[in-house]
Amino acid sequence: MPDLPKKKVGLISCSGEELPEGTVTRRAVRKVLETLRPDDTVTLCLPLFLAGGEGERAFARHYPTIAVDGCEKRCAALATEKYSAKPAASIVVTEIAKECGCGAIGTTRRLNAEGLRLADEVAGKIMEETDQLLKKKRKDSDKESGPGKP
Amino acid sequence: MGDNALELTVDKFRFRFPADLFYSEAGIWARFEGSRARIGLSDFMQQRNGDVAFAEMKDVGTVIQRGDEVAVVETIKVNISVPSPVGGKVVVVNGDLAAAAELVNQDPYGKGWLAVLEVGDVAAAKASLKIAAEYLALAKVQAEAEALR
Amino acid sequence: MSGSKRKIPVVACSGIGKSLGAAAREAGFILTEDLRPGKTKIVALGLLVLGDEEARREVAGGPAIAIDGCKLACAAAGLGCSGAADVRKVAVFDVVRRHRGLKPEGVCDLNEDGLKLARAAAEEGAKIVDGIGAEDGHA
Repeated sequence: MPDLPKKKVGLISCSGEELPEGTVTRRAVRKVLETLRPDDTVTLCLPLFLAGGEGERAFARHYPTIAVDGCEKRCAALATEKYSAKPAASIVVTEIAKECGCGAIGTTRRLNAEGLRLADEVAGKIMEETDQLLKKKRKDSDKESGPGKP
Repeated sequence: MGDNALELTVDKFRFRFPADLFYSEAGIWARFEGSRARIGLSDFMQQRNGDVAFAEMKDVGTVIQRGDEVAVVETIKVNISVPSPVGGKVVVVNGDLAAAAELVNQDPYGKGWLAVLEVGDVAAAKASLKIAAEYLALAKVQAEAEALR
Repeated sequence: MSGSKRKIPVVACSGIGKSLGAAAREAGFILTEDLRPGKTKIVALGLLVLGDEEARREVAGGPAIAIDGCKLACAAAGLGCSGAADVRKVAVFDVVRRHRGLKPEGVCDLNEDGLKLARAAAEEGAKIVDGIGAEDGHA
């Protein structure tokens, strides 16, 4: 097992060229990576993951991952499970769109205002899952290090 | 080149540092071959700076001091002025990089070398550089601080 | 008898880590929506590699175009292992070398250089489409 000094969460997004929800996943993941949780997350490149990228696959074996998919076909989640390990969390944009009552979100190339709003919602959900996973990891490492502090 | 390399993993990135090379603080490696030194970008430097599109070295015959620019490497992200880890005269440059600059990324310690310099005092040159373990420690601090993406 | 002609499938790498991946993705859209809309169709790499039947049907039986952001060429590799026998390639990275000075930035929102790069890559793809058409005897 490699030396893993800091726990991080790997975010893997579908490539999503066929649906605007795929574009939402990319925007949401980049938002978490760049703005919301830059110290706690890394992206895993799905094309590279599929093509055999050992860095991506090794990371997903040793760190928790969140798969973010545009639709119920769940390419990112399936790929992660197939080539590394089951993702710790799986988010599907079409499900979140239903929950928050989103209307038409634009095209694969250009999201409209509703699409950008949906991307923010998805980013929020990813952030919550990230925090949850890292809290769990911190609790586990507290237990391992000896008598716990309150 | 032997396979005896130190490795550093930061997040999903893995960096290699062959143990038989010397390294400057700027991340340029040097392999001493008699009175000559072959130089190139370390694995850490090539990953950090992105895909190399162009690499232009000083002309053969150019005499430079340690720390002077010996090459300019243009990546998708940045243009890097490469400081020479050793002083000396440029005697060979890697002509393969004109058509295939990506060799710097694909094989940074092998086919992606940049130039060979004739070095005056090899012992002094080595003494001014870091060994693999020392450079790895430096790269580790930089990599963790930068949160490479 | 159906008269519909096979659309040439286009697979872009869409790498999320680099702006070149974003440029490849945008090039795929420019090619299939702006430059050669009736003759090409975008196919998602993920679906293809994971064995989606419809995606595999799209790429079978004729040439396909891979648009890759970097030398790792994930789209070309994905097409190759998914039943596509004739993969034609657009390497965005090589387009960069032909348009020196462009510094693409951004992943979700490409900067101007990135959009120029995507356009140049798409135009190379369009030439490939035209070439395939000429091979088939349909101008």
